[in-house]
Amino acid sequence: MYPALTTTTDQDMLRRAEIDRSLRHPVMFFLTSGAAWLAFSLLFGVIASAKVHHPGFLANHSWLTYGRVFPAHINALLYGWGMQAAFAMILWLMARLSRKECTAAGTILTAGCVWNLGVALGITGILSGNGTGMPWLEFPSFAWPVLLVSYFAIVVWPFIQFRVRPQGLVPISQWYILAAVIWFPWIFITANMLLHCLPGHPLMAAGINAWYKSALVFLFFTPVAVGTAYELALRETGRPLFSDALSKLGFWSLAIIAPWAGMQKLAGVPVAYFLPYVGAAATALLFIPVCAAATNTIRTIAPSRETFDTSAALSFTTAGMICLVVLAVSLVLLNLPDSTLPLTQFSLSGYAMDIFALYGFFSLVMFGAAYFIVPRVTCRDWLSSRLITLHFLFSVYGMLTVFLVTLLGGLHQGLGQEDWRQPWMVAVSGTNPYAVATTFAWCLILFSNVFFFLHLILMWLRVGRHAFLPTQPGSAHGSIHDDEADASDHAAPHHATAHSH
Amino acid sequence: MSLRTFILGLASSFGVAWLAIIVIPFFKMRALAPIALSQTVDGATGVFFPKRTGRVADGAGVYAENGCYLCHTQVVRPTYAGNDLYRPDWGGLKADAERGDTRRETNAYDFYGEKFAQLGVMRIGPDLSNLGRRVESIYAAGGDPAAWLYAHLYNPRVNPQGWQSTCPPHPFLFVKREIKGSPSADALKVKVGRNHELVPDSDAKALVSYLLSLKKDHKAPAALDFAPKNPEGAP
Repeated sequence: MYPALTTTTDQDMLRRAEIDRSLRHPVMFFLTSGAAWLAFSLLFGVIASAKVHHPGFLANHSWLTYGRVFPAHINALLYGWGMQAAFAMILWLMARLSRKECTAAGTILTAGCVWNLGVALGITGILSGNGTGMPWLEFPSFAWPVLLVSYFAIVVWPFIQFRVRPQGLVPISQWYILAAVIWFPWIFITANMLLHCLPGHPLMAAGINAWYKSALVFLFFTPVAVGTAYELALRETGRPLFSDALSKLGFWSLAIIAPWAGMQKLAGVPVAYFLPYVGAAATALLFIPVCAAATNTIRTIAPSRETFDTSAALSFTTAGMICLVVLAVSLVLLNLPDSTLPLTQFSLSGYAMDIFALYGFFSLVMFGAAYFIVPRVTCRDWLSSRLITLHFLFSVYGMLTVFLVTLLGGLHQGLGQEDWRQPWMVAVSGTNPYAVATTFAWCLILFSNVFFFLHLILMWLRVGRHAFLPTQPGSAHGSIHDDEADASDHAAPHHATAHSH
Repeated sequence: MSLRTFILGLASSFGVAWLAIIVIPFFKMRALAPIALSQTVDGATGVFFPKRTGRVADGAGVYAENGCYLCHTQVVRPTYAGNDLYRPDWGGLKADAERGDTRRETNAYDFYGEKFAQLGVMRIGPDLSNLGRRVESIYAAGGDPAAWLYAHLYNPRVNPQGWQSTCPPHPFLFVKREIKGSPSADALKVKVGRNHELVPDSDAKALVSYLLSLKKDHKAPAALDFAPKNPEGAP
């Protein structure tokens, strides 16, 4: 069995290895099936984008019409990839930070299968012409209870782990994860109940839908990604957090501001007048929590240049957090009532912001975390560092292109829309070149993510080179679980080099 | 911080916003009071009720399922929020033969019969708040508005007004069938082989009926009229 362990470091390491082993299948299941949905979503994104400039492309089949392909693309991105990547992070971070093994892998895997089934049925519903027509909630109405039940069956275990954790200080990342776990059902149930079950005023339904989109991004995807980013920064660099006060400010300002955001999309719509203005103000104020979290993580990472250079996790995380800052700045600039809001309310820049939040920020952080976690839970080294570099470069440059193009295209389009002296077609034809560039960028991102998916499958099959097992802590190379500081001892300077060979 | 404090903190920070911008406005708008018309200012009595005819609920379903809302909006914003009202045919008609300038912004009573107001995501195509009006008075003036819309749905670039359109074609809303006896009145004017014709299916009929019901330029009561029209005629 295990060699005699003398030091607490050895015992810690063994503990971490046991937790990781107990999470191997749940984490790999969510990441791999998430990556498959991501590739699917990007493929549909390419098709949808191509249809904007070539409306005749693949137009003869009802299930391939733009109005079904686009919702399939965005819903697969949200519920297929985004939520499942978030599940992987929630499970892994909660187990590690609570120092508890996962004892319900079977239940979680079953619930995960049900979740995937729900998403697959929902996407089939959209493509077969049974979508609801409510943005981001297009799944036919039978899908949401399925998703909700499997959600609870998945996150109840991390919640229990948190309840029975050994006493001690709770790190900021755990608060973020816990908050996301609580906010999601609240938002999801509110939106679905009020839209599907309780008939209300059709305009208020549209308002709740706009709020749901914003809340899903800022109260679920953002806290999950920020919590993950904090944890990666601490574990990879082994340094203490740059500022505790800043992390608290970031968290509570997000909790207070984000629930008010979203309804600025209803500017000029006949609902209560304060709703769009409150939404615009809150969206602009989101700059505070976002900058606090981004500054804190980046300042924690920045002093460890040599770690940064060798760590895919840190490059992806830093890129994701920079995207978050750019997103926050753009949200301030694009949501000013009476100046930019009329231009962006119905233009491509709304899509640019959604994609930038979901891919530029959230997904990049998730990729970073995947590059950190997967070698630990599979005990295998990544097969190819070239594939990782390729994934990084294509994602970052592709995202930059999508962002710039849809943002500029959106503003250009908005100016055209507002210029009522010109015929409408002038506003329409001006966006064509931007649409072509977007298609091209989506192709690059799709290409890199197909390889990401294949890479993950091979890791799950454990094809790679054996990483040193934690059962040999005295080995010259050290173990893969040896190089990280745990929640309680962030001060110890360690180096992370074991992955991404 | 204990879990209890934490959950209380979350519940209060989220709960206040949730009540203030979701729950209370939802129930207040659910019971929106009808607006009484006044004989002196509106020239009519009773309550304001913008009538709609056609297969509204049915057609709104087809509209939603095929993602029309992704490129078309259904809201004409007041001038403080955008320039929609200045366009000659969005908020109504700039020069209606009988009623003169009928343009006005969208109000909360314009969505009767619909479950979800399709405000729209983007404007890749034009606003559809008054599409029915526009087709009848401009695009298909003197002709059959339904036939114009069928032709548009089959191929948006076939009508002379839309040769640059980027709207996707919807051939799947039409069925090819053998002509028995005389051709159908609503068959498309495209050749599909001897003794065959293309006719709209039931979805296409519901959708066109819905699109023709989009006429949101009934005179709004004075109580809803934020900017009474300049008698000289605004732009």
